[in-house]
Amino acid sequence: MGGAHRPGPFATGLAWAVALYLLLPISIIIPVSLTDQRFLSLPVEALSLRHYGTVVSSPEWLDAIWQSFWIAVASTLLAVVAGTLCAIGCWRISRRSTDLVRALMLLPLIIPSIVYAVGLYRYFAKLDLLDRFLGVTLAHGVTGIPYVVITVSTALAAFDPRLEQAARSMGAGLAQTLRWVILPRIMPGIVSGAIFAFIHSWDELVIVLFIASRDVFTLPRRIWNGINENLDPAMAAVAVLLVIFTVLLLLLDQLLRKRRP
Amino acid sequence: MSTAGHALGLRGITRRYGNFTAVEDVSLSVGSGEFLTLLGPSGSGKTTILMCIAGFVAPSEGAILLDGRDITGLPPERRNFGMVFQGYALFPHMTVAENVAFPLRVRKLGAAEREAKVRAALDLVQLTRFADRRPAQLSGGQQQRVALARALVFDPSLLLLDEPLSALDKKLRAELQEELKALHRRVGRTFVNVTHDQEEALSLSDRVAILNHGRLVQEGPPAALYERPRTRFVADFLGKSNFLQGTVRQAAQGRFSITIGNTQLVQALPAGAAEPAVGALALLSLRPEKIGLLDDTASADNVVKGRIVTWSYAGAGYTVTVHTADLGSLQVTLPTWRAPIAPAEGLPLRLGWSADASVPVEEDAA
Amino acid sequence: MQRASARLGFRPDPVAREARRAPVGQGFRRDAGWWALILPAVLLMTVFYLAPMVQVLAISLTEPQPGLGNYERLFTSESVQRVIGTTLRICVTTTVVALLLGYVLAYKITLSTPGVRRWWVLAVLVPLWISVLVRAFAWVTLLRRQGLVNETLMAGGLITEPLPLVWNEFGIVIGMVHYMVPYAVLPMLASMGEIDPRLLSAARGLGASRLTVFRRVFLPLSRPGLIAAGVLVFIFSLGFYVTPAILGGGKTLMVAEWIKLQILDLLRWGLGAMMATMLVVAILITLAIFSRMVDLRRIFGAGGTA
Repeated sequence: MGGAHRPGPFATGLAWAVALYLLLPISIIIPVSLTDQRFLSLPVEALSLRHYGTVVSSPEWLDAIWQSFWIAVASTLLAVVAGTLCAIGCWRISRRSTDLVRALMLLPLIIPSIVYAVGLYRYFAKLDLLDRFLGVTLAHGVTGIPYVVITVSTALAAFDPRLEQAARSMGAGLAQTLRWVILPRIMPGIVSGAIFAFIHSWDELVIVLFIASRDVFTLPRRIWNGINENLDPAMAAVAVLLVIFTVLLLLLDQLLRKRRP
Repeated sequence: MSTAGHALGLRGITRRYGNFTAVEDVSLSVGSGEFLTLLGPSGSGKTTILMCIAGFVAPSEGAILLDGRDITGLPPERRNFGMVFQGYALFPHMTVAENVAFPLRVRKLGAAEREAKVRAALDLVQLTRFADRRPAQLSGGQQQRVALARALVFDPSLLLLDEPLSALDKKLRAELQEELKALHRRVGRTFVNVTHDQEEALSLSDRVAILNHGRLVQEGPPAALYERPRTRFVADFLGKSNFLQGTVRQAAQGRFSITIGNTQLVQALPAGAAEPAVGALALLSLRPEKIGLLDDTASADNVVKGRIVTWSYAGAGYTVTVHTADLGSLQVTLPTWRAPIAPAEGLPLRLGWSADASVPVEEDAA
Repeated sequence: MQRASARLGFRPDPVAREARRAPVGQGFRRDAGWWALILPAVLLMTVFYLAPMVQVLAISLTEPQPGLGNYERLFTSESVQRVIGTTLRICVTTTVVALLLGYVLAYKITLSTPGVRRWWVLAVLVPLWISVLVRAFAWVTLLRRQGLVNETLMAGGLITEPLPLVWNEFGIVIGMVHYMVPYAVLPMLASMGEIDPRLLSAARGLGASRLTVFRRVFLPLSRPGLIAAGVLVFIFSLGFYVTPAILGGGKTLMVAEWIKLQILDLLRWGLGAMMATMLVVAILITLAIFSRMVDLRRIFGAGGTA
């Protein structure tokens, strides 16, 4: 009898097949990016870094990367501040009305970004925010809020509400309680949320397709054009760089989670 | 005793949650430097009252006064009350010293003064050695002492304790009870404690307030409550009791008698109690340890015969259930040291008690 | 004395618990500080999210003329109906396949030892967070006419003509399933994690075969997660833009791309906004139906904390 119930060979085999389906197609871009050919293919005679060279020396790619980076940083900041405070407020008040607020905050996850993008196109035209850094930042920031609200709410669920009461009983006002008691305790949740909000903005295409055209040209937008116009191996190099970047962020998140008590 | 204590008054405190009334019309005063315990079973409203005093729950009706000043509307952070939470609520991300320094940091005290006060508070609870540890590295008893130091370091006008000992095992609990009592004597502050443990309440407090179903049932010094419970609930909740109900036959000269079946019992009228009307029903509470074992010749105010139904050995005493013809089952405790008898099932006994051993109590309001 | 303390015990005390976590005061005034924390997010959300959404609804009802004209097209226009049909067909296929594949992974992960589990979870999380564009690009690299799959098959002499693997419905489903499997796994993992492993060992101990344990114990207990995952994948698929646009190659249109086409290329704002509104309605209806069966917070809790 003894021992836990473990999956059988059939289930394990199937699971491996699915895992390969998930991972292999993505990893195929690594050899492709190292091709010595001038078109999209596997390396023929030797591995080559020339396509990475193309990307790194291309002002267009670099410009797109920087634009994406700064938009992601600014919108993450917006999402983290608004999302964290909101999650804390909802957690503390914890009534039917705050459940509604939390549901409202989740809307951007539920509603397709295409719908939002359509509305935003018109809306930003009136506000003169089309094709502007501020416009894209606002849009990405607002749609990044749900990630922060979720991770921070999860962190707060493990937070003993008596700690807050204890702080208040010792004379701490709201700001002091926040700064010295609540925020330090939920920091890992906030950082997780920040990472996800950052990735969200960094990868976002649909909204950008609608509200940005020339002055703001993010990395996803450039990749999109690349896929639709010329499938050259430089695209694969960019894709690999992106994957490495994302994986690093995720590892950082996992590291922080492990340190969480 | 120093004069640092403040007097607290509750005036008609009521707290409702929707249709449910957690606390109903509770009025209490706590004298300066007094140790008061709110005692009651779960759901009795004791914690709600403590949370009202602390300011975390606003009473639906009534007022809270500190030295006669109305503080009902004051938020908790402006009340300057120390509080020891159930489970202690120590900040896990801070060291012991940082925890204790927290209320001082909030008050923007200078570093030197802060350090001196933290040291003094840790000395008070004998934890100076552990200043740099995290709460998770301390035992339950040590954590409790950190919580005490943290709640006292800022000279609070009042110390509130929410089941401060419930997380500890029995032996440690007894030890810390003594410490807590000594601490109260040393700091001379007003303490308000909440517990469901009647032993703790009796041994710690100057005064105990007993709550049931959100109402204050009786309050007074521990001995007075134990010896003269006002109602069946109090007698039953504080220790064990036998309840005897009979009809009043006659009443004279500070005594009255009741009959239960063919047995007549004599009851001394406690000081200040009104004489009961003849023919009325009376309920008596009789503590098991106040029933004595009589040999064939001895006599007492009240004597009944019975047989042992069950008995058990409990270290200091035997707990014996005796079946009697008219009074039903009686709980009796007999000392084990040089016990007059060796208990055995079916053993016939002669039991006796004096007229002032039992107390008349009221039936609880439904 | 023992009797009293045994009766009271250390059982959780509901009223006391209520009192301990009860909010400060009953009134809004005492909570004002905490409400102030919520305010920035609510303002941002209202001004920069809800307002643009209301705009969509407004456009659908006012352009080109005020009225329900755009919505009539749902019943009269064959092209509108075709897009909806294609979208539903692809979404249902994607949901079913993603659930099957996701279930296999979730089953394996749940029953693995904690050490092994970490790696498998990572295998799900990494694709989840890798740019959807990168993934679509990888599929194009593999599946197009001169792609790696066709080249390999032709070099091996298995086929003489390249197979049409992409720029059709097949390509879309392959890419979408690839995108959705991680989303299917997460809610299922959450719900399978609640299954008591001792139950499974006990069933085995009683002589049940692995298959019987699965069919009679595991499968029924994992149903809530399966439903949650299905809802999540289906509603994500409905409005999915990037993958269908790239792998459909403009030949097979799903709703999201059709909307973009109407608005950015054909400038038929009213029609595009009508379809966008219907998309939201369809998603909300799906959620409303299934919110009776599963806890929605579980769906999105799992999807977001990934």
